[in-house]
Amino acid sequence: MIGRVTQQTMQRSTLANLQLNLSKMSSIQQEMSSGKRISKPSDDPSGTSLALSMRSEQRSYTQFARNIDDGLGWLSAADASMQSAVTQLRRARDLTVQGGSGSLNAAGREALATEIESVRDGLISEANTSFQGRNVFAGTSNSAVAFDSSAGYAWNGTAAGTVERRISPDATVRADADGSAVFGNGSTSVFALLDSIAADIRAGVDIGSRLTEIDTRMDTMLGELSGVGSRMNRLTTAQGTISQKLQDLQINLSGVEDVDLTSAIVELQSQEVAYKGALGATARVLQPTLMDYLR
Amino acid sequence: MSTFSGISTALSSLIAQRQALEVAGQNIANANTVGYTRQRAEATSVPSASVPSMFSTGTAAGNGTRVVGITRMGDVFLDARVRSATSSASFQTTQAQNLATIESSFAEPTDLGVASSLQTFWSGWQDVANAPDSSAARTVVLGNAADLVAKISQGYRAVDTQWGQLRTTTASDVTQLNTTATSIADLNGQIRSITVSGGNANELIDQRDVLITSLSSLVGATTQQRADGTVDVLVAGNPIVTGNRSESVSLLGATTMGSGLGQPPASSADPVRLQWTRSGTSLNLEGGSMAAKMADLTPTGALASTATMWNDLATSVATSVNTVHQGGQTLGSPPTTGVDFFSLGAGLPAATGLQIAITSPDDIAAADPTKGALDGSWADKLSQLSTAPDGPEALYRAFVVDLGVQTNAASQRATVLESTRSTAENLQLSGASVDLDEEATNMLAYQRAYEGAARVLTAMDEMLDTLINRMAV
Repeated sequence: MIGRVTQQTMQRSTLANLQLNLSKMSSIQQEMSSGKRISKPSDDPSGTSLALSMRSEQRSYTQFARNIDDGLGWLSAADASMQSAVTQLRRARDLTVQGGSGSLNAAGREALATEIESVRDGLISEANTSFQGRNVFAGTSNSAVAFDSSAGYAWNGTAAGTVERRISPDATVRADADGSAVFGNGSTSVFALLDSIAADIRAGVDIGSRLTEIDTRMDTMLGELSGVGSRMNRLTTAQGTISQKLQDLQINLSGVEDVDLTSAIVELQSQEVAYKGALGATARVLQPTLMDYLR
Repeated sequence: MSTFSGISTALSSLIAQRQALEVAGQNIANANTVGYTRQRAEATSVPSASVPSMFSTGTAAGNGTRVVGITRMGDVFLDARVRSATSSASFQTTQAQNLATIESSFAEPTDLGVASSLQTFWSGWQDVANAPDSSAARTVVLGNAADLVAKISQGYRAVDTQWGQLRTTTASDVTQLNTTATSIADLNGQIRSITVSGGNANELIDQRDVLITSLSSLVGATTQQRADGTVDVLVAGNPIVTGNRSESVSLLGATTMGSGLGQPPASSADPVRLQWTRSGTSLNLEGGSMAAKMADLTPTGALASTATMWNDLATSVATSVNTVHQGGQTLGSPPTTGVDFFSLGAGLPAATGLQIAITSPDDIAAADPTKGALDGSWADKLSQLSTAPDGPEALYRAFVVDLGVQTNAASQRATVLESTRSTAENLQLSGASVDLDEEATNMLAYQRAYEGAARVLTAMDEMLDTLINRMAV
């Protein structure tokens, strides 16, 4: 600035510069002490936009991870029950083969029939497996059991009522197994089948042809079991993806929001030097006037 | 030429040097007085009375010196520049401050803001979808919803409070404006009478200029200099001070935000406005801090748009959730559909009227009516509202980012204008402020001149002594 310089203009500009230095230092110190580069939207509007959407995404993915944990619980329960059901059905098949040999007396047949019935009871208890109070094989139903043995093994589920778990913004995975597909429904159910086999054995009727029925049911069960397995697989894969995604989000969010300590400290140091310099200059400049040298 | 004329010449110098020294003393005394403009004694030489006539006495020296006036070393153009820079700087600074206050009420991006509450609310629905039979998950959703409702209403109330404070400070600004105008008119009157009688009104002019600058900062005043030493002050083109008369301005309009912006419960807006008290014509300010405040108080200002955003957010949350929620089925006995989750109180702004319409956790409709009592697909559907492109979260995020951009731009503009103002003020000060070195030098010069004049007097005295006492004794 060209012009007359007086004590007052010098004092004003010195004060203004000191104030500028101090406010810069204060903003760096605020950044450092809070650890945040963005403490209000105007600090970096585009960064704020990013931070807001990343926080939202972070929250949804954390929730997806929880959904997956829950879904895995359901599917493991279904998987265990179905594995055990398949084993038991295999036992029933063996018993049916024995019963069809035709070399048994009435007592032996009765024993076989009773054993088949006990297998049936085992299957019913597997079919009525519950997870956290909910029927694994009756989806969204609020009935006490999935299959009611006192009502002709009627399935209590709803055909469309699948239990779904959301694993990404646009994908869900079924967490239950379709009880009517696995065990059948009412008169076509595996329980009714075993009942009628037991009755035929008691009556001495030839049961050779029933083996194919058991085999068909077994195939269906195995098919459903592999379905459950593949869904578990899908959930586990999604779990890995999500934990990776959450890590990436955390790193990116920190990159947007958090202060870079090293550069902040260096900046603070240089700002401190500048401030000290300004203070020193002020102390020297504002002291002397011509008055000091006149006598 | 008289024998004694030399004595009066020396005397004139003694008087003039003393007067000049007094002016330097006044300058030094006011070295730090705000608004003081340095002064200088203007001396001029007095010519000899050489009238060309019959009795002309021949060649003679002049008759000494005389102080003809005390000049005020101000520059009206620099003053005008300071005023216009002050007007725009204070407008922009006030606007930036108002925006920063609005911004600070948002607490973004932190875990305490509304964005976080919205996210918590949406993910709570996922927990209900996972366990529709769990009353804990349902109660959590109700709790999250209550938190969201409280935060939205708090946000709106913060705007309401800020509006009220702004209205109050504007009212006191108007009082200050009127008082200042009266003071300027009074000073104009005094300055005119002193100037007419040939006196020195420099200090009063300084006082008046300080007041005019404060008026510029308040309402962007401009001035017109008159020949009689008075100054007319104009606000938005109309005179507020003419000579020794001043006009007054009054503030009209609502005192609460609801009626000021025409939001419920008020049915129509009663906007805050300024008008000239005497003529009743409206006054639209063009600069100064009050213009920024008035702009923020109007139904198109930053506060109004923030209040509207809160209302829109509340409405958007209520309608988007209700629309989905109505299609779902509750867990109660018997299960029902068509239940509203939120309600908007009638006769209230949406942001404060937003309430949770259901009380029992079982009234939350989490199930698809076609899919069994413990279905959770409807709750999942509700949680999907978080990513709706025109949903509440998108609306809120867009506003926060826009507010950040505006605040950032306003504060940058304010910094630039403030530095323009400070440059203008520095230029003004560099002309008008007192330099102690300069005054010390002047003092030295006056002192020496005074000594010289005294020496002349002594020489004259000795000469007369020779003439009167030593001759013909």
